[in-house]
Amino acid sequence: MLNLYMFQVLNGLGLGMIYFLISVGLTIIFGLLNFVNFAHGAFFMIGCYLCYALLQVTGQFWLALVLGPLIVGALAWGAEKVLIRRIYHLPHTFHILVTVGVALILQETAVIVWGPVGKSIPIPDALQGVVIMGKFAYPKYRLFLILFSAVIGFLLWLLLERTRFGALVRAGSESTEMVSLLGTNIYKLFSLTFALGVGLAGLAGVLSGPIRGAQPFMGSEVLGIAFVVVVIGGMGSFSGALVGGLLIGLVQSLMTTIWPEGASLMIYGAMAAVILLRPYGLFGRA
Amino acid sequence: MKRRSFLKSGLAATSLLAAPAMLKPAFAAAPVTIHGLKSMSGAFASYGQFAEMGSKLAVQDFGPLLGAKPEYVTIDTEGNAGKAVRKVQEAIQGGAKFFDGCTLSSTALAVGKEVAKGGGVFMTPAGADEITGSECNASTFRWTVPTYGAIQETVRPLAKAMPKAKRWYTITPQYVFGEALLTAAKDVFKDLGIEHVGNSYHSMQEQEFSGYLTNAMAAQPDVLLILNFGGQSSNCLRQAVNFGLKKQMTILMAWTAGLDQFQTLGPELLEGVYLGAQYWHQIDTPANTALVKRVKEVYGITANYPLAADYIGTKVILEAIKKAGSTDGKAVAKAMEGMSYDGPTGKETIRAQDHQVLKDYYLLKGKAKSEMKDPDDLATLVSSGQAFPTGDKIVCKMA
Repeated sequence: MLNLYMFQVLNGLGLGMIYFLISVGLTIIFGLLNFVNFAHGAFFMIGCYLCYALLQVTGQFWLALVLGPLIVGALAWGAEKVLIRRIYHLPHTFHILVTVGVALILQETAVIVWGPVGKSIPIPDALQGVVIMGKFAYPKYRLFLILFSAVIGFLLWLLLERTRFGALVRAGSESTEMVSLLGTNIYKLFSLTFALGVGLAGLAGVLSGPIRGAQPFMGSEVLGIAFVVVVIGGMGSFSGALVGGLLIGLVQSLMTTIWPEGASLMIYGAMAAVILLRPYGLFGRA
Repeated sequence: MKRRSFLKSGLAATSLLAAPAMLKPAFAAAPVTIHGLKSMSGAFASYGQFAEMGSKLAVQDFGPLLGAKPEYVTIDTEGNAGKAVRKVQEAIQGGAKFFDGCTLSSTALAVGKEVAKGGGVFMTPAGADEITGSECNASTFRWTVPTYGAIQETVRPLAKAMPKAKRWYTITPQYVFGEALLTAAKDVFKDLGIEHVGNSYHSMQEQEFSGYLTNAMAAQPDVLLILNFGGQSSNCLRQAVNFGLKKQMTILMAWTAGLDQFQTLGPELLEGVYLGAQYWHQIDTPANTALVKRVKEVYGITANYPLAADYIGTKVILEAIKKAGSTDGKAVAKAMEGMSYDGPTGKETIRAQDHQVLKDYYLLKGKAKSEMKDPDDLATLVSSGQAFPTGDKIVCKMA
């Protein structure tokens, strides 16, 4: 029979894949643009609300899954054109100042549009129910989430490692100037990368909707987790986000059985341990 | 011309003479002002918005008081004890005496001390036992039933209705409030011979409950007792339902926020779940029927817990000022002690010993969508009753 710890490992992997999805956009943006996006959590929240709103209008979760991240990505693309690109050259403190402002605007907009009371998002009919494993049950929706995140992760890896766009992004993260001198429109590349990174936050938001519901103030909690994952994995590292996400998911899930009171605390404990041993994160570069 | 100027001066003289008479009602007494302490911004803004509606309505509907129409001012606590205390200090310096509100226990405890220093009166719906327990004071009154009653009036009736459910599992937030609920639950378990098969503590920041729910599944209980509240209890229940726990065990959420939380969750999640509540709009009492009707007229919504709690809290202060015939804080507090009135939950009495309002607590059960008569008909009343520590068990020692 499946034992409690084995089930917590499975659950931890599921959580880890969600955390990977939440943080991979943040790390991509940091890697190429050297830009700290504190509005990442707020865009996640908007993704969550779009899932709710699109479901209300169309009743189609799958449509929301496609449209939600696209709308969030488009919003980010607009924000980048108007605001973000003007501050790339400034120190990180300015990035934080501006993106926290953007986060507050998004949060208050959500309050105005959808009200301060949160919304529940139903699980799509096809994924209702649980898979029984001995005395445990695991929601089908979470299983879908693990598989879907794995597919998204693989596609992202293909995009970054096997396409011209990916090559430019990676080259850009090494030397922006050089890529620019070689004739690539670096601003266009920046806009697209920013939209992609934030769109991934939107995707994570849409997917998390049925698990967490939508709340205007959920962004800051998500941002915290995303930063922990990125710091553990190494700022700007794609594989770091995956390993960091899985590590945090496993730590959190196993600790809920071993030391429940400290489960949340241990996320930060794991981060502190990684920073002590490898100051630039597991896959980070100095 | 002469006649016209004579008429003019006559008119002016008459109006001057008449002026004091006309102005008299307005200047006869300074209006009594109630200050509403509401979390209008920040993470608890949804609560504050309804709470403000309640206090405003109570003041608006209360006829003249000590010769003038009472007035109402909102102070935004921002859901933050430090900011609330600073704003209350400023208000007291400006002459404020009567306060109603505070969602969060931490804020209510801090504000209660300030109001006591200023010799005012403070009525709150906050939950912590200390408010009318170890940290009670002469100025602070509390409308809501504290943890002891909430557990007694939910765990007992449910255990009685399901005599075969002998294995209970608890999920508890680790801080004073959760601890108080858990202790109260353990006492009832012991009393009823219920086996407490396990408990998962979690931190105040936790929003991911899958791990704790897995622990609960492993213990194979008959009943899952959820002892957290607000957004955490919503997420805990949502994830419990996702994990199919509703089919494996009965779920009881002992401390809910009532209608506004149920609206967020919706009937799919709530169906068949037992819910503890301080107030429910379907309570059949004359005062509640009137309140629900009036709230519908004025705001177009169904009365919910924050609205009802702050409505009655504010109204009680106004009634006490009327009874005392004065705006002296001590006299008004004295008038409130022992006061009985028809509240939304029926006959409510303010116990003089600890300033706790003695009122019913409710056990509800989530309805299926098909059974609902209107969108707010989300739960059915299962039972209600009063349970408060008495005699030696009253912790409060009024200074």
